[in-house]
Amino acid sequence: MDYDIVIIGSGITGASIARELSKYKLRIAVIDKASELPAGASRANSSMIHGGFDDKPGTVKAKFCVPGNKLWHKLKGELDVHINECGSYVCAFNDDETKHLEKLLEQGKTNGAPGVEIISGDKLREKEPNVSGEIVAALWSPEAAIINNFEAVNAMIESAEINGVKLFLETTATGLLVDGGKVRGVSTNRGEFLAPVVINAGGVHSGEIASWAGDTSFRIIPTKGEYFLLDRTTGGFIHSFLFSCPSKAGKGITVLQTAEGNLMSGPTATEQQDPEDRTTTPEGLAEVLKGARRLVPNFPVNMNITTFAGVRANTESGDFEIYALKSPRGFVNAAGIKSPGFTSSPAIAEYIAELLKEELADVITLTPNEKFMPERRNIPRFLYLDMDERRKLAENDPAYAQIVCRCETVTEGQVLEAIRRGARTITAVKMMTRAGTGRCQGGFCCPRVAEILSRELNIPLDEITRHGGESKLLVGKTKEFLLNKKGAAAHE
Amino acid sequence: MSKKIDVLIIGAGPAGVAAGIGARREGAENVVVLERDWDLGGILQQCIHPGFGLRTFKEELTGPEYMHRFIEQAHEAGVEFRTNTMVFQIDRETNTVWTMNKERGIEALNPGAIVLTMGCRERPLGAIRIPGGRPAGIYTAGTAQRFVNMEGYMPGKRAVILGSGDIGLIMARRMIWEGATVEGVYEVMSWPGGLRRNIAQCLDDYGIPFHLKTTVTKIHGQDRLEGVTVAEVDDHMTPIKGTERFVECDTLLLAIGLIPENELSRMAGIEIHKVTGGPVVNDLLQTTNPAIFAAGNVVIVYDLVDNVSDEGLVAGANAAKYALGKIPSDVKRIPVRGGENVRLYSPQFVTGETDTTIFMRVTHPIEQPCRVFAEPGFYSQRLRYARPGEMNEVKIKAGQVKSAGDISEIVIDIQPV
Ligand SMILES: Cc1cc2nc3c(=O)[nH]c(=O)nc-3n(C[C@H](O)[C@H](O)[C@H](O)COP(=O)(O)OP(=O)(O)OC[C@H]3O[C@@H](n4cnc5c(N)ncnc54)[C@H](O)[C@@H]3O)c2cc1C
Ligand SMILES: Cc1cc2nc3c(=O)[nH]c(=O)nc-3n(C[C@H](O)[C@H](O)[C@H](O)COP(=O)(O)OP(=O)(O)OC[C@H]3O[C@@H](n4cnc5c(N)ncnc54)[C@H](O)[C@@H]3O)c2cc1C
Repeated sequence: MDYDIVIIGSGITGASIARELSKYKLRIAVIDKASELPAGASRANSSMIHGGFDDKPGTVKAKFCVPGNKLWHKLKGELDVHINECGSYVCAFNDDETKHLEKLLEQGKTNGAPGVEIISGDKLREKEPNVSGEIVAALWSPEAAIINNFEAVNAMIESAEINGVKLFLETTATGLLVDGGKVRGVSTNRGEFLAPVVINAGGVHSGEIASWAGDTSFRIIPTKGEYFLLDRTTGGFIHSFLFSCPSKAGKGITVLQTAEGNLMSGPTATEQQDPEDRTTTPEGLAEVLKGARRLVPNFPVNMNITTFAGVRANTESGDFEIYALKSPRGFVNAAGIKSPGFTSSPAIAEYIAELLKEELADVITLTPNEKFMPERRNIPRFLYLDMDERRKLAENDPAYAQIVCRCETVTEGQVLEAIRRGARTITAVKMMTRAGTGRCQGGFCCPRVAEILSRELNIPLDEITRHGGESKLLVGKTKEFLLNKKGAAAHE
Repeated sequence: MSKKIDVLIIGAGPAGVAAGIGARREGAENVVVLERDWDLGGILQQCIHPGFGLRTFKEELTGPEYMHRFIEQAHEAGVEFRTNTMVFQIDRETNTVWTMNKERGIEALNPGAIVLTMGCRERPLGAIRIPGGRPAGIYTAGTAQRFVNMEGYMPGKRAVILGSGDIGLIMARRMIWEGATVEGVYEVMSWPGGLRRNIAQCLDDYGIPFHLKTTVTKIHGQDRLEGVTVAEVDDHMTPIKGTERFVECDTLLLAIGLIPENELSRMAGIEIHKVTGGPVVNDLLQTTNPAIFAAGNVVIVYDLVDNVSDEGLVAGANAAKYALGKIPSDVKRIPVRGGENVRLYSPQFVTGETDTTIFMRVTHPIEQPCRVFAEPGFYSQRLRYARPGEMNEVKIKAGQVKSAGDISEIVIDIQPV
């Protein structure tokens, strides 16, 4: 297989880069070891499109955050993703914290974050009546927004695919192919992907991948963040995104209403060895609850529907690692993309295109692709349609008159469309349609989605997995199972 | 234009089927039951074990057999059923019921009265916030039951069961019958959630260990479940340090409670009771919206299907009366109050228009002779014991309420004697 560019990782960084580069006449492959998108940090995070006041001026993060925010406001329409333009507040409980707000305000101005201002605690409570009465002031950032991160990554990749990019899931990069100081491609569990340019967007694994190119200038410190996610009926409890000020006790727990209207709280920040450890812990959850209750005293944790954790690709420098190596030539890092990485990703992608033009012109040529189509349409979201739209949809395709997920009102039509767009696992369907994200967490729809996957993909029900690999839902047919067991017993 | 529907019933489980019969018997012309599944019977379809209808039919039937008898009666009574038809919205101002079906598309119905019989759902893992991973192999007992009994597939080979609700107990035995092993049933409370009869028949008879005051504190595994950590808990239900133990398993089945399914009821704007999780109802099984009635597990989770069928008949009959203009709008509304040992009960109001049964559960087991009663002087009955896993009832006659005159409340309780 021959390409111009291979991108390792299909998180929001790799996906954004792929879409940006699909504006040029290039043969691009994106490979990811996961069975569905998003898989890494892009799946489990706070889903905030940051206002841009939080990053120290002069850092790479500060350079990309505000432009990234602006780009998302534009991409919302092009990619048809849910973004709730609700703004954010940083809450201060005392004079020290109010001083911190002033520092953030200055930073915001320097970074070019529009409209940032400090308001009183009472003003905040007018907007958010459920916040603590002890909050004395808040930093308001009107451009901050909350995105549906499941949708965004899938939208970004789909848009890239519409424009010719090839996506390879369950494809793990195992090494870099180098010839005479030049990149030749990557080796994977599915053979070699040849290309003169390899872009490392491997998230929490990006340090290891960089080391294949001999680059050990940075190290990834996997840092876990744990969350509570509450029932959608709790949505109106908080309408926006609330930060705490960082303190000795921790980096600061947030409380927010997700783009879909669930109340959510987190994250912790715990360094760990294992980049793949996404387990929640009693200590972590206790810390989140404490932080949530500080901001929102009546935080209705009894309405919890699930807990989860994401792992940040933190670096020692605390900054992103985005550059092309001199040698081997053709290797580009988009590595250590920690927060505000989701926000920054479209701006990082634009920068990578410039980087290729300016620094790797001898290796690759970027000719504009006049046929680039910026628009991508989402799978219809039954829940959000009005009755006339629903009727029309159901008249054209009766599968839209059959509910699969009752909590999120997802129809069979949506599940079939997700499968048509590449879903192969229960989690993939969940990421693309939200089936299983509601209060029963798949109790009702999981068997139904499994049946549809089995039928449409023509694979036995007991081969269907939750998220690829060994995550099979079932272990066999009942009768076979008894027979095998009897056979085995007779053998013994 | 199709004929106006007099009584529209949502859900064709035991409650809904009985409501259909009740409505027709009371004289409602056009009675329609909507069911989102492809078949009638509700949760009983997958309950292929015997133990149903002992009271109603004086014989032990399986779930589907029990339902079959009611469905026959409903057909004879002229009840119309529409399967594969899901109600996804009820408008609160107009009581318009929105339905979807592959053949009929999306339809709006405006019936004379509505009966809610949507049943209940199982409490998911998230509700109890167990830390750890989120691998495949964790199912509510009812989901596992559907896989095994209806699809013919095994969810796993080595199971741990968390919670001792009846479905969990029944699935423990089913897993053994299908050749799997069951490592144990773990219950956080100091008493079982399900019926004693099920503990004896499903666990004891198969030597499955039953651990009270013990819970799962961690989930291990990334792809497929590899095991759970269990620990004993103190009187505040906090895990006791040092009692943790790893139990290897590939399946965790949850039987940690049932929640009445009331999304539609909320949309309809009717009041939901904080403790039962079901609509607030009076003895006519009328909700706070006079045109909407409710019966079965959507109101309060029952142990026995016989009670559900009885309540379904009552709700259907009263919905028919309402549709025919036979229920006065100024009926009495005497509140029922639960005494100190009552955790939940239904109905919460009495009109005195009908004889009624109030169902209740105690907060803690009372393992000694006791008395269940309704004051002032309506009912009193001796019991050998009272347990949270087994519902109790008091019966009140319409005549008693009428002759009691102006009373401000009815108090129900169970007290040791
Ligand atoms: C707890 C938490 C909260 C956050 N909150 C926010 C926020 O509110 N706002 C914000 O802007 N940012 C936030 N972030 C940061 C943001 O989520 C990340 O910056 C962003 O998702 C990183 O995207 P990525 O594509 O670089 O990495 P990832 O999403 O981790 O993607 C990397 C991908 O590479 C794949 N991969 C790795 N190794 C290989 C290999 N060898 N072969 C093939 N594929 C491989 C992985 O499977 C994965 O899919 C948060 C992060 C965390 C963890
Ligand atoms: C595993 C198990 C074992 C049991 N064992 C026994 C026993 O041994 N003996 C005994 O007497 N009782 C037993 N029971 C109790 C008995 O089954 C229940 O009390 C009874 O089924 C409750 O009936 P229901 O009609 O209220 O609810 P359900 O049976 O749950 O029926 C509700 C129906 O409503 C439908 N519905 C819900 N929402 C909608 C909507 N929006 N649109 C259309 N349709 C909808 C559902 O699909 C379902 O068919 C058992 C229950 C379970 C779960």
